[in-house]
Amino acid sequence: MTIFLRAGGQLRAMLKPDIDHYTRKVEIDGEKTIGEILKDISLDPAYVALIYVDGVMKDLSFRPSDGQTITLQPPVSGG
Amino acid sequence: MSLSTSEIERYQRQLTVDGWNQERLKSARALVVGVGGLGGVSATYLAAAGVGYLRICDSDRVELSNLNRQILFTTEDIGKPKAALVAQRLSAQNPEIKIEPLSDKLTETNASELASGCDLIIDGLDNHADRLKLNKASFDLNIPFLYGAINEWLGQLSFFHPPETACLACLLPEELQDPKPTPVFGPLPGAIGSLQATLALRYLMTGEHPVSNTLLVFRADTTVFETVRFERRPGCGVCGKTVPSGH
Ligand SMILES: [Zn+2]
Repeated sequence: MTIFLRAGGQLRAMLKPDIDHYTRKVEIDGEKTIGEILKDISLDPAYVALIYVDGVMKDLSFRPSDGQTITLQPPVSGG
Repeated sequence: MSLSTSEIERYQRQLTVDGWNQERLKSARALVVGVGGLGGVSATYLAAAGVGYLRICDSDRVELSNLNRQILFTTEDIGKPKAALVAQRLSAQNPEIKIEPLSDKLTETNASELASGCDLIIDGLDNHADRLKLNKASFDLNIPFLYGAINEWLGQLSFFHPPETACLACLLPEELQDPKPTPVFGPLPGAIGSLQATLALRYLMTGEHPVSNTLLVFRADTTVFETVRFERRPGCGVCGKTVPSGH
């Protein structure tokens, strides 16, 4: 199935977006957690502060379904 | 608490805003910690609106690299303490209110002391570790915490007042990969600071807090707002513990 990972801030460059400035299309075999998907694409989850899908906060154990967009938020801590 | 003739004239354009309660604002007490990009803006609107008592705390001095976004300061202010400068400028803007500037460095020990006696804690900080200190003080004292933060093109805010809502430690881990210095699009702290002022004034007048258990995310590069729902975490190291008396 296909999922879409989206990131801003310093995570954007780490994600290596391919379908637009913020989004990377990822093909996965069967069900996987976000943690497993990040490992597959060599993105260190330590740089991911928040994960959300369809307006609801999730964590690394979330298993996305086909076509979902998962937003990866970097630490946002300036002021 | 009644209004003087000069206050009625000063606040004339807001007194007729639907739901406005100037007397409640006049008797309200707010703490703004950090008066740089975020706090400089939120404190300015709180002062202009007539929040009766503002305690502003910042241990920093103005630096040249602040000036792309910290619009209360000028080039001549470089090297001067931010808290005193902001107090001076906001007092000139609205002499009807009381402003207490503090240059103390925020610590785990003094966070509760700084917040004591206030109705609301407003986040103008520039790092996660200090926000967690304020979050803990907020829980210990049962004072709501209005969180705001920025990074590059991203801004986010929420309202914490456990046990009614989640707290910052429910939302974010203790350790964050927190690169310094944070890149910042100059108008972004203005936008987030204005939203914090909006939520603060609404809360102080009405007790309403529409962004509880919700993270409001603003993506300034695409001018998109998103709301993200989250829940209180039962195992939270702050609000998952025994609720202090007074709650
Ligand atoms: Zn909590």
